[in-house]
Amino acid sequence: MPALTIDKARKEFPSGEQTIVAVDDVDLSVDDGEFLVLEGPSGSGKTTLLTLAGALATPTSGSIRLGDVELGDLEGNERSAVRRDRIGFVFQSVNLIPFLSATENLLAVRQLGGGRVDRDARDRAEQLLEELGLGGRGDNVPDELSGGQRQRVAIGRALMNDPDLLLVDEPTSALDSELGRQVVELLRDEVDRRGVAAIMVTHDERVTDLGDRIVKMVDGALVES
Amino acid sequence: MSIAIRELRRRFGQFLPVLVAMTLLVVLLVVLGAFLDGLSRSQTGVLRAQGDRVLVLSDDADLAPSRSRLPDGTVEALAQVDGVEEVGRLSTVATTASVDGDVQDVVLVGYDLATDTLPEPPTSGEAVVDAKLADLVDVEEGDTLAVGPDARELTVTTFVGDVSAGSPTIWVAADDWLELADTVNPTERATTQAAVVSGDATPDELAGTGDGLAAATVDDVIAADDVVTQQSSTFQGIIGVTFVVTLLVVALFFVLLTIERVRLYAVLKAIGARTRDLVAGLAAQAVAVAALAVVLGIGLGIGLTLLVPPDLPLVIVPARLAVLAVATVVVAVLGALGTLRRILRIDPADAIG
Repeated sequence: MPALTIDKARKEFPSGEQTIVAVDDVDLSVDDGEFLVLEGPSGSGKTTLLTLAGALATPTSGSIRLGDVELGDLEGNERSAVRRDRIGFVFQSVNLIPFLSATENLLAVRQLGGGRVDRDARDRAEQLLEELGLGGRGDNVPDELSGGQRQRVAIGRALMNDPDLLLVDEPTSALDSELGRQVVELLRDEVDRRGVAAIMVTHDERVTDLGDRIVKMVDGALVES
Repeated sequence: MSIAIRELRRRFGQFLPVLVAMTLLVVLLVVLGAFLDGLSRSQTGVLRAQGDRVLVLSDDADLAPSRSRLPDGTVEALAQVDGVEEVGRLSTVATTASVDGDVQDVVLVGYDLATDTLPEPPTSGEAVVDAKLADLVDVEEGDTLAVGPDARELTVTTFVGDVSAGSPTIWVAADDWLELADTVNPTERATTQAAVVSGDATPDELAGTGDGLAAATVDDVIAADDVVTQQSSTFQGIIGVTFVVTLLVVALFFVLLTIERVRLYAVLKAIGARTRDLVAGLAAQAVAVAALAVVLGIGLGIGLTLLVPPDLPLVIVPARLAVLAVATVVVAVLGALGTLRRILRIDPADAIG
């Protein structure tokens, strides 16, 4: 069973008297351990597709399944739980919690939903930061880290709950080309090591070769490369 | 919730404006409460000194002892009622007292029964004196007061506290009071105003002793006092408005904070936070800020009341402080929860893009 199955997913937004079709009957599946690159011009619907896959929005029609869970059937708190426990997000603007240290940013994922931070959670956070090359920076708050380091903390946060699906939005947009490639290589390694399915939205053609498969999106529809 | 508390600790400066505002409001509440209790106590000392006894008055007095005139024989009749242990007379009249030429308004009280507050009535020519009088004039035990228009001399035997009735009180034996009251108001024969009764007899049983009598507990008589009621309702109103202002200040602060945090909350929702997690965090911050404001405000408020002149009737009552503290925290939480609708509207999808 694929980690993610999108079946005829459609997302429409009202705009005055018109309706904008952001995602147009998209079919897509991503397997465990597969690193899929989603590219396309601005406004093509990539981000909207990512929000649908990440249970951040519901499709107007069609089906989105994470493993055997139909995301459209979930209520508010169930969706929160799926996002917390089964999906990891790496945001374009990093979006770390500014007043928490790197370690605490990872542990925050465990605390959401009433979870407890135990010894195992601390060990996992330290191990993830070590793997991401941030072994000595766990006590630093985001303002004390470079852009690349912050992005790596964000990757650690996304992996903290051992997700089934990793959703990455423009991870290189705020980084120079060398650092951007390093970050995506790191993501690629983590996907391989953990066997997690991943979708990375990017404009950056210099890193698309690191994906297992590249899918283009134009005007809300997918065009397989 | 621990994330919210960490934010409070690490970004304390962000919460400083609301902490300062709430602390000042708590100071105001403490001072208003002290005035409310001080004014009430300064008016009702004579009644409160009677403890849990029942007062019997003339029915036409509407539970106002100063307007009451007991029919002759009432005290003796009350003593015959089943369950009555002790009956004593209690009467007051406003007059003046001078010490070394320093004239003060006083209330002259006649009484028969000792209480937890009052000693046995002094002998003729002696008086038990309100300690408040000693705050206003230079008088000590053994000194002589000149009381009333005839400047009747009374020797101070002892001082008692918290027995004022608008003015400081001078307590004499009930028989002496009748004699002194006649000099204060020569046109009207002095009459015992109230009887103070202890024992198991109910107010209804006591009121039924004779025609034209009413009986009530001390608390009920105090509650029927127009002056006390008006003062109390005025201050309760001001205190209520202060709580409303506190609610608005907290609500406004947390609304602004929530507007500033829309992006952060969207991210937290995106990575799995439930709305109730975010609201609980805000409530925890509100409780922590309110608790700190209560501690600081009560400390400053008490300090302020110690600085005011002693003739201002300010009294700090611990029970009042406890109510103010709990109410302030509750109001702060309600104010913080005013952001619930905004938090509900935050779309986690805004974290992407």
